Amino acid sequence: MNLALVLAVVGVLALFLIIYLARRHHGGEGDLDALAAQLRPIDVDAFRNLIDEREEAFLREQLPGKEFRRIHRERTLAAVEYVKCAAQNAGILIRLAEAARRAPDPAVCAAAEKLLDNALRLRLQAFQVVPQLYLGLLVPRTALAPRFVADGYDTLTRQVVMLGCLQFPTRGMSAAL
Amino acid sequence: MLFLRYYLWIAPHVLLVLFLVRSLRRGLHRRLPIFFSFVVFEFLQFLGLFAVSRVIAPSSTEVYRVVLVSGVAISTCLALGVIYELADDLLFSRLSLTGILRPLLRWSAVVLLLLAAVACATLPGVGVQRVANIFQSVDFASSLLKTGLMLCLFLFSGALRISWRSPSAGVALGFGIAASLELATAALRAYFGKSSFIAVDVAQMVAYHIGVVVWLVYVWLPERAPKFAGSGLPKSEIEFWNHELQRMVRR
Repeated sequence: MNLALVLAVVGVLALFLIIYLARRHHGGEGDLDALAAQLRPIDVDAFRNLIDEREEAFLREQLPGKEFRRIHRERTLAAVEYVKCAAQNAGILIRLAEAARRAPDPAVCAAAEKLLDNALRLRLQAFQVVPQLYLGLLVPRTALAPRFVADGYDTLTRQVVMLGCLQFPTRGMSAAL
Repeated sequence: MLFLRYYLWIAPHVLLVLFLVRSLRRGLHRRLPIFFSFVVFEFLQFLGLFAVSRVIAPSSTEVYRVVLVSGVAISTCLALGVIYELADDLLFSRLSLTGILRPLLRWSAVVLLLLAAVACATLPGVGVQRVANIFQSVDFASSLLKTGLMLCLFLFSGALRISWRSPSAGVALGFGIAASLELATAALRAYFGKSSFIAVDVAQMVAYHIGVVVWLVYVWLPERAPKFAGSGLPKSEIEFWNHELQRMVRR
């Protein structure tokens, strides 16, 4: 009996959620300059340092266990922020690329298509990396995270490093960054 | 009340004919062939049910129910095909990384199917006749699957910040609205039992009507590209960002 009522409520909530998401999807109109201004800077060197395995090993050796765990937690959370920032930038670039795809110049269209594809890839990768980082935070070096501890941690690091390669030029629209 | 029920039964299917005509003119049958087949089937199912209830066997509700259950089962299969087609048109066609999203959608469907099976087994039967119970199960499972998958589709697109183009967006929105309302009403039918049959039927017909109107509006309106103000990205900037992103995603 109660399950039926719960499912009825789920149906109504789903309706509102679908309408809300549809409105967001349809909100394709916007100011490109304002969008570009939302791009956030990423300090790539700092980010690389955060996810550097050797740096982590060094800290593990030098610091007492409790202190290392605190530092490790702070470093991981900072890395998560970097990845989220890169994902947000990718989201903005998706919108910009979608607009650029409608340009009359075929070369611009082709470049925009590539940009769109890469931005989508990055955003997908960010969605994979963030939960992995949080998992590594909860269970560092435990058997519960064999992918991190055994051979997966290297893959994760490479993924995060790739995300961290976002470098903002001090030119054009990114001059403010 | 009788007029309202007849209106809600007939009017959406009249609108479906308009939709089919307009879709043919706009070439939607080539872009979304499964959806087009779904709409054609919905119309044929209506004709069949109308004929059974008014001409062939007006006194036998059993024949009507058997035709209805069969129709709902076929319609559900087609609806799942439509959702796959929408995912293909709105998401997969834009991504080279469909390898990630396809399994996600597939697993979502599996989980939803399991949920539907559990819920159908748990929900109380609404009628003493087997056909009525089968109808309830098929109707409920179908609504849950459709709603869940449409939500997944909207959520994936939202997460990736992909803006949708009409008329696919309209098809998805109409489908989503109708499916979620059907889910809510199908659950209410199970909760309130036989006494709620008419009210739930009316609510489901209203949901379907809204869905059809949304499809019609989107297919009737000219397809418009999103408008953007500002100068946007010059070619050099696009190439620069493309280069940066390629470096980031290269394995």
